Amino acid sequence: MREQVITRDVVANPKSVYGDKKASTRQFITQRVSGAINIAFLLLLLFVVVRLAGQDRPDMVAVIGNGWIGLPLAVLLVIVTIHMRNGLRDTLEDYFHGRTYSLYMMLNTMFCTAIAAVGVISILKLVFWG
Amino acid sequence: MTVRSRPLSPHLQVYRWTITMTMSILHRATGIANYFGTVLLVAWLAAAAWGQQPLNLVNDIYGSWFGQLVLFGFTWSLIHHMLGGLRHFVWDFIIGMEAGQREMLAWANVIASVVLTLVVWTLFVWMA
Repeated sequence: MREQVITRDVVANPKSVYGDKKASTRQFITQRVSGAINIAFLLLLLFVVVRLAGQDRPDMVAVIGNGWIGLPLAVLLVIVTIHMRNGLRDTLEDYFHGRTYSLYMMLNTMFCTAIAAVGVISILKLVFWG
Repeated sequence: MTVRSRPLSPHLQVYRWTITMTMSILHRATGIANYFGTVLLVAWLAAAAWGQQPLNLVNDIYGSWFGQLVLFGFTWSLIHHMLGGLRHFVWDFIIGMEAGQREMLAWANVIASVVLTLVVWTLFVWMA
């Protein structure tokens, strides 16, 4: 359901507001900060994948099981999922609204939470229980 | 929070295709690809935590020609999105927005992403 019909005049009016001003500013900052941190994630990911691609479990435990590698990887992965949820929100806002938007946003949150949960639990398993 | 419908732009066909527009679309497309691509990373980590058997399965799939093709594409997608993000950081300082500069940045984005992907795969996969 449209809350407001978007007409030519609405688009032309510079005072038209399409979302929550405070939340949008926060989301903008979140996306920049998490995006910058994601560069560190990619470097660590490159290191981990180059060391471990195709390797067996003992090698995975030796590298990711090392807390100095595993724990930063877990923290960075959580930040990645925040960036993912925030980024997809941007896309969903462009094409959906009302209840459809809420539904997709809920699926978005569930997917990102699942990725973070499975990733972090797997890494913690390797770090603390081998 | 309720969200109002955003004004949609007219159909893409009415515009002359430009490099900046292509990079804007690619930034969104690679973002969505990376979003679903995280499943590949998490599945690998979960398999490693689970046991040698599931890890063998994941290693076989990722090591197959199709798996390698997907991982090559994923590498490019991640690098392209990262460079696109850096371009946004440059724009945040109101630099590189003039005509000519923005096209240069857009071309640099796509060329650098392809070159970096080839460098990473040459160094760590093909020559390793």
